[in-house]
Amino acid sequence: MLTRFEHHAVTEMLGQPDTPPRYNGTLCFGHEWERTAFGIALALAKQGVFEWDDFRDELIAEIGNWEASHNLTDASWDYYERFLSALEKAATKSGAIDSEELASLNNLKPASA
Amino acid sequence: MANLFEYDSDREKQSAARAKALEALLITKGIITDKTVDQVLDFFETRMGPFNGAKIVARAWMDPDFKQKLVEDTPAAIEELGLGDFMAGAEGEHMRAVANEPGVHNIIICTLCSCYPWPVLGLPPYWYKDPAFRSRAAREPRAVLKEFGVDVPEEVHVKLWDSSAQIRWFVIPERPEGTEGMSEEELAALVTPESMMGVALAKAA
Repeated sequence: MLTRFEHHAVTEMLGQPDTPPRYNGTLCFGHEWERTAFGIALALAKQGVFEWDDFRDELIAEIGNWEASHNLTDASWDYYERFLSALEKAATKSGAIDSEELASLNNLKPASA
Repeated sequence: MANLFEYDSDREKQSAARAKALEALLITKGIITDKTVDQVLDFFETRMGPFNGAKIVARAWMDPDFKQKLVEDTPAAIEELGLGDFMAGAEGEHMRAVANEPGVHNIIICTLCSCYPWPVLGLPPYWYKDPAFRSRAAREPRAVLKEFGVDVPEEVHVKLWDSSAQIRWFVIPERPEGTEGMSEEELAALVTPESMMGVALAKAA
């Protein structure tokens, strides 16, 4: 079986702290933005913008920080929120976007953020 | 906290806006295109996944000769279906199908690693990598099957197939009763990844 980057990248995550939600043999996205975030992260790693492992380090750190500051039964846990934050960090660190651009992105968020 | 639900939908909106803005920025900078996300996820959504296994099993249900070939020479039979050249063994691994039949129930496990026939089954569920599942399935498969809701009668022989780096097994479940008039496509919709792992039965919807 030819191992494709996409497959290799995702299977590396399985059983690890950053294992993605899945259902019936496929990735499981609750919202379109989650799919968008996952697709961007895979694409940037595939293109060599950043290393998949470096992105995963950001993701595992994001997850670890959330767990350290929340009760593990806290229902506000959201895998893809952590994923999106890790993606923003990895994209910024790689130089693909700069922090100013990211800040202007974040201005799109409602003031309550 | 009184407004918990409003807060949640707010968070969703924020996240959606951030993801969309990031994608738009990367498109503007020429790093990705508006097709990139679809292209990269197409791999999981249309090329490699349990829909392949479902097509293979549905064909086997329709065509006894194909089923026979699928068991005897799995790669050659799969090739006939033209699911894509990515099914070919580039790493020396082979997929092998085993068929459930009256008196025999098959279950696939992997005690040493987590080899998984992903081109036909997609991504494995959480528990597949769990050492407890792997060792218990080998030691007491009937008890494990019962927990999955599959009650295997005493007289039915349970066969375990332990995948390795060379051979990755999958199960051809039995065609459910009451599906005689169904088309191949309708049959494929009844085939779940779990039924191809042998921890569930295919059921008429």
